[in-house]
Amino acid sequence: MGTVTITINGQKVSAQTGQTILEAARGAGIDIPTLCHHPALAPVGACRVCLVEVAGQRTLQPSCTFPVADRMEVQTESVKVVEARRFVLELIFSERNHFCMTCPMSGDCELQNLGYRYGLDHWVYPTYEQAFAVDASPAHHLLDHNRCVLCRRCVRACAELVGNHTLDLRQRGAHTMLCADMDLPLGESTCVGCGTCVDVCPTGALIDKRSAFMAPPSEVERIATTCSQCSLGCGLNVAMHRGRVVRLESLWEAPVNRGLLCRRGRFEALEDHRLRILAPMLTETNKRLHVSWEKALAVAASRLEATDPRRLGLMTTTRVTNEALNLMKKVFIDTLNAGQRGMVDRVCPTFPAAESGRLSDLSESDAILLAGADPSADQPVAAFMIKRAVDRGARLITVGKRPGELAVFAEMHVVPRQLEVAVDALMAADRPMVVYGSGLKKADIHTLQRLAGKARFLALQPGVNTRTAAALSVNGMPDPAACDTLFVVAGEENGAMERLAAGIDRRTFVMAQASYESPLAARADLVLPMAIWLERSGTLTNTEGVLCRAHAALPPTGQSRPDWDILGRLAETLGLEDNPSPNRPERRKHRTF
Amino acid sequence: MAKVLIATDWLAACAGCHMSLLDLDERIVALLHHVAFTSSPVTDLKHTPPTGVTVGILTGAVSNTHNVEVARRMRARCRYLIAVGDCATFGGIVAARNLVGTQAALRRAYLETESTVNGRIPDSPELGRPLETVTGVGDVVKVDIFLPGCPPRADDFHYLFAELLAGRIPTILPREHLRYD
Repeated sequence: MGTVTITINGQKVSAQTGQTILEAARGAGIDIPTLCHHPALAPVGACRVCLVEVAGQRTLQPSCTFPVADRMEVQTESVKVVEARRFVLELIFSERNHFCMTCPMSGDCELQNLGYRYGLDHWVYPTYEQAFAVDASPAHHLLDHNRCVLCRRCVRACAELVGNHTLDLRQRGAHTMLCADMDLPLGESTCVGCGTCVDVCPTGALIDKRSAFMAPPSEVERIATTCSQCSLGCGLNVAMHRGRVVRLESLWEAPVNRGLLCRRGRFEALEDHRLRILAPMLTETNKRLHVSWEKALAVAASRLEATDPRRLGLMTTTRVTNEALNLMKKVFIDTLNAGQRGMVDRVCPTFPAAESGRLSDLSESDAILLAGADPSADQPVAAFMIKRAVDRGARLITVGKRPGELAVFAEMHVVPRQLEVAVDALMAADRPMVVYGSGLKKADIHTLQRLAGKARFLALQPGVNTRTAAALSVNGMPDPAACDTLFVVAGEENGAMERLAAGIDRRTFVMAQASYESPLAARADLVLPMAIWLERSGTLTNTEGVLCRAHAALPPTGQSRPDWDILGRLAETLGLEDNPSPNRPERRKHRTF
Repeated sequence: MAKVLIATDWLAACAGCHMSLLDLDERIVALLHHVAFTSSPVTDLKHTPPTGVTVGILTGAVSNTHNVEVARRMRARCRYLIAVGDCATFGGIVAARNLVGTQAALRRAYLETESTVNGRIPDSPELGRPLETVTGVGDVVKVDIFLPGCPPRADDFHYLFAELLAGRIPTILPREHLRYD
């Protein structure tokens, strides 16, 4: 790559060969307006808003696709350019319903901003009269064709980022329409409901149902945090308005997921309607009473100290912060030496002498073996990345008793018995990668071991913070029947904890640190209310080992407290020295006892 | 110097733009040293004087034949015609009717409403006839200045009057006075 010098509006600008005029201009702080352009997507030059004058070119050129050349002279705001941009905008505004006063995106619309920038104060062309049906069939978002400017950002995001290829355009010219699959309603199409299209839409054509009209865009504030739905640790923005969560949005600079989110992370994470536990509760002589935190912690501490370590149990969800897990180790393993301990999720096996892979390696691998995991269901963003790799030409081989959703995209699907065949195929590849989960059997692990030294291995842990939990040897499964006292960090966990609750002996004293009412919380003798993921700061270690920071967007509901805060206070009550580790920066700030 | 005469009128409007004009509050007093409002829908005198005014302000969309008459009359009686509000500039909320069609809108409003019994679409010769297409004022008469907004804020009116009194025609609105919502 060489460096070239071009002149933009009389200003000398250095650029790399291969860069577009737009990239060179933005690199030099020169603003060229765009509409169809999105930094995460391949430029297509569809909207013509970024037209510029290039000396020697017969016509104006779209700067988003036009490559720089040495000594090129560019004008970005000449009379000719501004006239052309106004003309382009008038044409875009002349089709479909672009009345801002009834649009939820007014105030956060790229088309509106361009109208303002170029002073469009009335229609030049006849008032548009055609109406299109709104496709509200998806669960969480809707497509209003009337607001669509056919910029194809959603089409590109669906294909290039999600690897799903659901959205496309049909018809031609003035009849061009956005469509899903072979013109199906979105809700009946192959759409996975990840909402990436909603995030990239420059207008109000693709909007989030939940947050539409809920908050004026100019008053929305954003807090960057880490999603706590699976082990990928995707970064996201929590959009807030007057202390309420409006919606979850892509955080494009997030290192793990680069803006991608799945349906669960973007939409379903806000749909928990379970009843929250608001205050510490103690059951005495069959009566459940609200008690103070001091009393609750005192009861917990004395009970823990009085229990025979061999008959003391700790069970935890992995949807907790590193800080909480470290405190669990300090209290229950290092100090109390609890005989029974475990977590709800299984742990992925490790492959000695194998090079560990990262999610970003998927974009460079030429053959991917997927075994013992179902990322489409459990880590959807990883599934998007695998599909992208397949689009790029990588071979995908899936292994499993039944073909999973990704098997459709695979060159080959084999049952575990035929794993050798898949391993042979990978041995022949240049940059193979093994993506695996906790579903691997012993024999499979042995067979895959042959690829150590050849392939990169990426474990997709089934839980959120399983990696840290396993590293702190919290792993395993306690026998609830063998516990006189059982401390359960349930958090937001549901199903697995219900199964656990069913196996607890009647005489066992159960302490539950939980966010929601559940059979386990109902069974517990002592309930400690725990904040949910949106209400606590801290760190999480994702399945690749990347440290992800979480920042509380909301204050804890009721008297609930962050996971680490409860355990830290418990440690203090037990008389353990409080030594906040450097990766617990938020700890002191939140102490308001 | 004689006061500048201003007349306002509304077409298919919700009165919001006039309310916004009144939001000038005490600034109206200062303004009245320089201008005189001859007539408006919110004062006793409704009709623009046949002797003419310097500035005519129209709010609301052109929705029926009566609106066309009012727009033409205002155009004939003023030197500078200002279209104020999203309806007068773009068709605005009234233009939503275009998306269903005038006849369908009339049927829905006067015949098919759940609470309507033996409804009848008004057809008195005294009423304006609804047009097939709702448009902004600019589609019917020549407009000199467009001031969009739903409604334009009092500050926008103040800017507009200040410019006109300074002898300037603000055909290109600065960003802070241009809004679509």
